[in-house]
Amino acid sequence: MGFLMDGLEAEAYDRKYTDRALIGRIIGYFAPQKQLMITVAAMVILGSLVDTAFPLLVSRSLDIVIASQVVGTVALLIAAVLFAGMLSWTFNHFRVRFTTRAVGDVVLSLRNHAFSAVIARDMSFYDEFPSGKIVSRVTSDTEDFATVVTLTLNLLSQVLLFFLLAGILFFRNVYLALLALTIVPAIVIVALVFRRIARITTRRAQRSLARVNANVQEVVSGITVAKNFRQEQNMYDEFVRVNEQSYQVSLRSGFVYSGVFPLLFLIANLGTTIVVYFGGRSVFGHAISAGDWFLFVQSMGLLWFPLTSIASFWSQFQLGLSASERVFAVLDAEPRVHQHASEPVEQLRGKIEFRKMFFSYDDRQNVLAGFDLTIQPGETVAIVGHTGAGKSSLAKLIARFYEYQGGELLIDDRDIRSFELGSFHQKLGIVPQSPFLFSGTVTDNIRYARPEASDAEVEAIARSIGQGDWLEALPEGLNTLVGEAGRALSMGQRQLVALARVLLQDPAIIILDEATASVDPLTEAQIQEGLDLILKGRTAILIAHRLSTIEHADRILVLSHGRVVEEGDHEALLRQGGHYAQLYNTYFRHQSPDYRPGEGFVQVNPNLAVS
Amino acid sequence: MSKREFTVANEYHYNLSSPTRWIISHLWRNKYLVLCYMLASIAANAVYMNVSLLTGSAFNAVLGGSLDQLGHIALALLITIAIGGCADVGARIFPELVGKRFVRDARAELYLSLLGKSQTFHNRQQVGDIMARAANDMTQLNNMSSPGFDIAYDSSVALVMALIFIGAINWQLLLVPLLFTVSFLIAVRYYSHWLNPISDSMREEFGEMNASLNESISGIEVVKATAQEKSEQKKFERKAGIYRNLFVKNGVVQAWYLPPLFLSIALVLAFLHGLFLLASHQISVGSLVAFMGLMVMLRYPAFNTNWAFSLIQLGVAGADRILKILKEETDLDENEEGYRGDESGMRGEIAFEHVTFSYEGTPVLKNISFRAAPGQTIAIVGQTGAGKSTLTRLINRIYDADSGRVLVDGIDVREWNLDALRSQVSTIEQDIFLFSRSIADNIAYGLGQKADRAAIEQAARDAQAHQFIQDFKEGYETEIGERGVTLSGGQRQRIAIARALLTDPRILILDDSTSAIDSATEDEIQRAIHRVLEGRTTLLITHRLSQIRWADKVLVLRQGELVDQGTHDELLTRCEPYRRIFAHYAPAKQEQLQSNRKQELARVEVSEGVTWAS
Repeated sequence: MGFLMDGLEAEAYDRKYTDRALIGRIIGYFAPQKQLMITVAAMVILGSLVDTAFPLLVSRSLDIVIASQVVGTVALLIAAVLFAGMLSWTFNHFRVRFTTRAVGDVVLSLRNHAFSAVIARDMSFYDEFPSGKIVSRVTSDTEDFATVVTLTLNLLSQVLLFFLLAGILFFRNVYLALLALTIVPAIVIVALVFRRIARITTRRAQRSLARVNANVQEVVSGITVAKNFRQEQNMYDEFVRVNEQSYQVSLRSGFVYSGVFPLLFLIANLGTTIVVYFGGRSVFGHAISAGDWFLFVQSMGLLWFPLTSIASFWSQFQLGLSASERVFAVLDAEPRVHQHASEPVEQLRGKIEFRKMFFSYDDRQNVLAGFDLTIQPGETVAIVGHTGAGKSSLAKLIARFYEYQGGELLIDDRDIRSFELGSFHQKLGIVPQSPFLFSGTVTDNIRYARPEASDAEVEAIARSIGQGDWLEALPEGLNTLVGEAGRALSMGQRQLVALARVLLQDPAIIILDEATASVDPLTEAQIQEGLDLILKGRTAILIAHRLSTIEHADRILVLSHGRVVEEGDHEALLRQGGHYAQLYNTYFRHQSPDYRPGEGFVQVNPNLAVS
Repeated sequence: MSKREFTVANEYHYNLSSPTRWIISHLWRNKYLVLCYMLASIAANAVYMNVSLLTGSAFNAVLGGSLDQLGHIALALLITIAIGGCADVGARIFPELVGKRFVRDARAELYLSLLGKSQTFHNRQQVGDIMARAANDMTQLNNMSSPGFDIAYDSSVALVMALIFIGAINWQLLLVPLLFTVSFLIAVRYYSHWLNPISDSMREEFGEMNASLNESISGIEVVKATAQEKSEQKKFERKAGIYRNLFVKNGVVQAWYLPPLFLSIALVLAFLHGLFLLASHQISVGSLVAFMGLMVMLRYPAFNTNWAFSLIQLGVAGADRILKILKEETDLDENEEGYRGDESGMRGEIAFEHVTFSYEGTPVLKNISFRAAPGQTIAIVGQTGAGKSTLTRLINRIYDADSGRVLVDGIDVREWNLDALRSQVSTIEQDIFLFSRSIADNIAYGLGQKADRAAIEQAARDAQAHQFIQDFKEGYETEIGERGVTLSGGQRQRIAIARALLTDPRILILDDSTSAIDSATEDEIQRAIHRVLEGRTTLLITHRLSQIRWADKVLVLRQGELVDQGTHDELLTRCEPYRRIFAHYAPAKQEQLQSNRKQELARVEVSEGVTWAS
């Protein structure tokens, strides 16, 4: 009887599609399974028909036995009952089989659609939706989508059974049928009121449970502090209070849940009493036969059960529709990056040219407005600037993760919009700010961009970075498992793996968005040694946060409000005393090994540094 | 449970020897509730069975031509169902009471035990893991008592009652229901043996599919940047395909669930048997009607027991996992009699003598020896996994050395009274933990309710935190955490420093890897750190080159071995790994650094204190 409780915890969801459109599309997905679904529908109808045969046949035989007291004539009827029972089981058997097969195939194709839709989106999509939401749309929501169908089928068979039984009862005796059905409104009302109350108490119970769990979480995470300062008693007293409250609330919710069944049984039994009494009187007055009376009594046990599921159908059905809507919303999302051609990219020299570029993430504020920049093949350029100056945007545009609104971006004097992106990305190496690793070994991750690379190649590349010292710190060397999202490795180690990955990929253009998180000094030194290697003979754009990285650059660009305001080398820019000097004082001063708090400022010329 | 760091008065002791015994001892605590439930369930079932009997006698009455009797029977029916309803409400409410109390008590038990566990235990255990037990396993305990136990017991009572009532009508009628019960049990056993592995692997595959998808989405930037969309799609389609196959297989097994078929066969056979007895005048029509009514009652136990038993299984498994935590021995002795320091407490001298330490079979530290004079600052340098944090944990006895000695003030730490030692050794961890309370409460945490506002503010000033705290609208009363403000790493660190300043330890261990985004924040943090170092022996694990450079002594660790130790200048001349650290900072500067060193050092000595305190 769990369905009465289903869907009570779910939250409301804003709907954009109409029910009609959604149901139409759902049916569309089942179209390839048409034959299967028709068979299932037939099974449902046949099953319900056969199910009503049992009480009917039994009551018939009872009449015959009472009238003639002879078993022989009944034998045929009994055989029919047995046959009906077996048929019912068989119909149900095939119904379940076919439904799962159809639903399994539909969910599979929907999932694959959803996945390819998701993976084809540009990065603006991933900015909009947190990854957890995307995942649940592809896996859980597609599953819920299928429940709409299963639910409808279940409801169909329950409703059919109910109406068939009710019809038979009316056919036998209208007066008695009307009396028997007096319990119908009572049961429906109880079921609806119950769901209303249950929704409220469930929410309360969940909230107070969340409080208890938060409390436990806090003591477990902060145990060191609690112990250091000997505060266990206070923590415990507070917990006991919260725990007691949760007990009271969840007890009340439990009473609601378990109280409903005795109530439903009571109503059903009242119905039985009505039928027994008035049915008995009718038999006495020869209005119906004893067999019919028995039929009424038996039906009472079967009638009330479907009613509860009819009462809870609508809200569950809506939940299923919302889930389908979330899936369709992903499928229908418009891609923002448009390529007007797809010419393969064979070799790149690595010249990059921005011409009068206009770019904004949200159409409200321009990140770049008429931006011009040329980077020569083989040049290493460091970009520095305040947060929000547009540093990362340059990298994302070159990677073609976002669409720009105006101007041109040329790679080797060719329009980036004419590229086939797959082959272009092969020639482009990106080390993101917090490098993502896939679960598996370090080797797996290094070879991610070139799955065909041999173990020896991977090892040679790994050894070439930082004299291979970083491998020593890994418990199993290259075979170390990196864990979920690389969490078994330190941030510095993840960066080293990402460098090796790019080095093996051997791209013509490198974009390094340097991590802001701090890394232990030895690993930091290895990363810098790796950079020396990786930058050789490639065009490179470094979005720099570290003093040591800036020193690699041929040219430093100072970005402010989407414009290049200064450029040159470190020494010259410092002497100039402008924007760069100011940035140095704000961001890089403390990274110098000679740093002391409040010291090490370089001279800033106030006329040059107005930002 | 003899060794524990925290206990409360009047604690109830449960039997921890096995999951089943533990569950029973919890139920035993609520034994009167359990007894009430058992009686109520029997009463409710008996009354409901009686409805069938009364219906049967109604048939006899009517067929026997007595309308008066029908009225009496209807009245009896009404009374019966009223009593039944009351008993039923009792039978449903008592298991709720028992279940919820069970969970409340078990939670308190777990909480108490967590508070009593040693730090070693908590370091070993992941927060997520403990939370899974405190949240999920507790929910399973709840589901085990209600509806799990409830349905299992109630169904058995219903089954036994139905059989008793059928036997009371005519013992020969028991033939079919008994046959059904036996065949049902066999079928269910086979069924679950068949289904369980499939639904297990289905759950597993769903998790796999989810995890793999999650990974592709989280790593989307890499996927796109390396043009691996196709291989990710293939990977996903394969996983989704495996899941689909299991889903269909699961459906096929479910379609083969035989008990409904058995029940309809049993009903037919029962009816036939009843008719036969009716024809041979051994039972009346009413008895046949009552018998059929009771047979239909078998439906309930037949269809719910499987579910109930799987709930109980899950609950016992959950209890087992909870018990593992409860039973975990803490390997710490408090050493009440131990050394408590001289009259002035602790001086703060640290010495390691040939210390070797392994963690779960892996050697972490190998033959480490060094000294730190009171008030000195020692920087520890090494890669992740070199053993830096472990080394500091030997000082306040979170771990004990395998061989060699760790001495504080010349006394082996194992000879120290644990409380005296720990209260004088304070650690500011890498991941600073703040409670979801006000800032003032967090700073005053160590002193409980006793701290006065002036002391808190003074500590905050010394930690360079006063300014930013004042900038919040509610100042020191600002809530931290989910419902309040989110603090930056630098701010959290300064609050932790204020917290440590208020308790005034002699030895400080500072795992300082907060990243400062800008130099102004760094200025503040460094001033705060310097204030807290004053007059304390400090072990410093840091990523900041300047702090390493200015430390009294630097230890260079590599894979658990102490490669070298000395001042910055000594190491720069003789230690290759150490030199590499500084290699990427303008060579021009390093030359300058060499030549200016003497001059610099002289300046430092003069300006020390003046610069820091400003």
